[in-house]
Amino acid sequence: MASVTSTITPFLIARPKWYRDPQIVRRRSITFLQRAFTYLVLIDIAFVFLVPIFYIMATSLKTSQDLSDPTIVWIPSGFFWINYPLAFFSMAYVKSLSNSLYISLGSAVGQTVSCAFVGYGFARIRFPGRDALFALVLFTFLVPPQTIIVPLFILYKNLGWINTYNPFVVPSFFGHGLKGALFVVVFRQFFKTLPWELEEAARIDGASAFGTWWRIMVPLAMPAVVVVFLFSVVWHWNDFFEPFIYLNRMEYFTLPMRLSVLSPSLDTATGGQASELFNEALVMAAVFLVIVPPLSIYLFTQRFFVESIDRTGLVE
Amino acid sequence: MRIAVARTSEALAGAGPRRRRMSLTTQRTLEGYFFVSPWVIGFLVFLAWPLFQSLFLSFNELQATSLTDLKWKGIDNYKEAFVIDARFLPRLWETLRNNLLDVPVIMIFSLFSAILANQKIKGVIGFRAVFFLPLVIGSAQVIKQLFAQGVGGATLSQGVNIQELVFEYIGPDAAAGVSDLLNRLLFVLWKTGVQMLIFLAGLNSVSPVLYEAARVDGATDWDRFWKVTLPLLSPVILVNLVYTIVDSFTDTFNSVLEYIQMTAFAGGFRLGYAAALGWIYFIVVFAILFVVVRITNRYVFYAGDRSG
Repeated sequence: MASVTSTITPFLIARPKWYRDPQIVRRRSITFLQRAFTYLVLIDIAFVFLVPIFYIMATSLKTSQDLSDPTIVWIPSGFFWINYPLAFFSMAYVKSLSNSLYISLGSAVGQTVSCAFVGYGFARIRFPGRDALFALVLFTFLVPPQTIIVPLFILYKNLGWINTYNPFVVPSFFGHGLKGALFVVVFRQFFKTLPWELEEAARIDGASAFGTWWRIMVPLAMPAVVVVFLFSVVWHWNDFFEPFIYLNRMEYFTLPMRLSVLSPSLDTATGGQASELFNEALVMAAVFLVIVPPLSIYLFTQRFFVESIDRTGLVE
Repeated sequence: MRIAVARTSEALAGAGPRRRRMSLTTQRTLEGYFFVSPWVIGFLVFLAWPLFQSLFLSFNELQATSLTDLKWKGIDNYKEAFVIDARFLPRLWETLRNNLLDVPVIMIFSLFSAILANQKIKGVIGFRAVFFLPLVIGSAQVIKQLFAQGVGGATLSQGVNIQELVFEYIGPDAAAGVSDLLNRLLFVLWKTGVQMLIFLAGLNSVSPVLYEAARVDGATDWDRFWKVTLPLLSPVILVNLVYTIVDSFTDTFNSVLEYIQMTAFAGGFRLGYAAALGWIYFIVVFAILFVVVRITNRYVFYAGDRSG
């Protein structure tokens, strides 16, 4: 019986619009409950991700009395804005922000350009050793950065790159750096999904390989470019481990680095008098200031995150 | 005039064979190397050479204070890690155990929320936007600060008071365990952004025709999940599994990596020993990945022709 229905399935798909499958009608009656339940679970999960943000915002506006008052959790007794300027200055916000921007934008540009370039080579050009090289790309992804951190540190030290941003920006222009291998894979998968015809037409018209890539393929790969660029910016923004190795002077610190040294620096500023409670509101204000830039980028670009996934060919 | 034409054609004839001398295959090969060359150079400079050097260093004694002073130690560093150092093995074990617990939680939760976010209901785009928040601000540092300040299980379970209930009925030890688990869970859920994204892309690539067919054959939603979604998603699950394992093992918060960093830079300055620890860790992670991929690959179902 089942086999009979499955053989006639193709005909059923092509049925006219007005035809109402009795099963669909039956399903409608239970959808309301199903839908209510789905919304409930969706809200639950969203809650997990939103609570910390609400918590940050609420706590950052509290006075020290509010902090010690157990009845005040979500709504502070007033808006105590003073934590924001305090956090702003104790993190040297403008300086650290420009440091963070330098690292994330510089590396993101490097990774986007180089990974698009390399990914195209892996996706579209057949040459001996390609598959072996691509296996090496996957292998690089598996190497924990900590395994090679010591020689890299020595290398950068000899090059005089300690306390500069070169250790982040330069490798990214070679398709390496933070999760570079992943971006090469993303571009390769994306280029594989594009039609051959345009490219062949360009080649027949006499375009060079580089010209074909730059003028035909890159414009077509915009969804992948956007996704890789955004991911690279965000990951570099949040990166923590390598900056702490290669940067050891406060004036070069990025925002998250500043955040982590905030409490000790506060203690020295107030001569160790800053109380734990006062600290919490201030730290939350600082946390908020650190997440504001990526959060606002996200608000403007979430369409790309949410919608262009289907088109990135992340999954073949 | 005639001379000019003749010259041109001569030039063309001269240029022709020279270009043709390089066959199309050779030309393609050169182009291929041209495109991947930046990566290969980067690989040699920023990965292969450091990896080799790190292996070499791991058999030596090197202090960060004097980088030229190398002393050959043989396998003493490795011996020390396993036999003398009382802090390394417990940390390695702790990391393995934590990841063994975390990886399945991350996988199941992200698949679950991806399926939810893939429902065709009103407002789902807004929920997706919220679900991707961990991608943007899941910065280890920010999250660490938050959990240090106690936005863990305490805040989340306030309405339900699970901890108190457990405390009352089972005892203080269990309550501590539960609160630990809740804190950990929340921390883990914040690492699901990329996985959810990959699952969503995978779910989108499952042809609706198959669901239709299954439904016509009388399959329930439950059946369709196990018999259609899961098999078709299995390659994506494998990709995600590998990503999750690599990601959680290279997460700078795990105690082995913290220890390596401490040994090399903060306080210890023993670069040779740190390199040895790094290599031990690398081999352990690699072995785990190898086993997981070997086992999982047996259950992966590749639909259609995937030879390319």
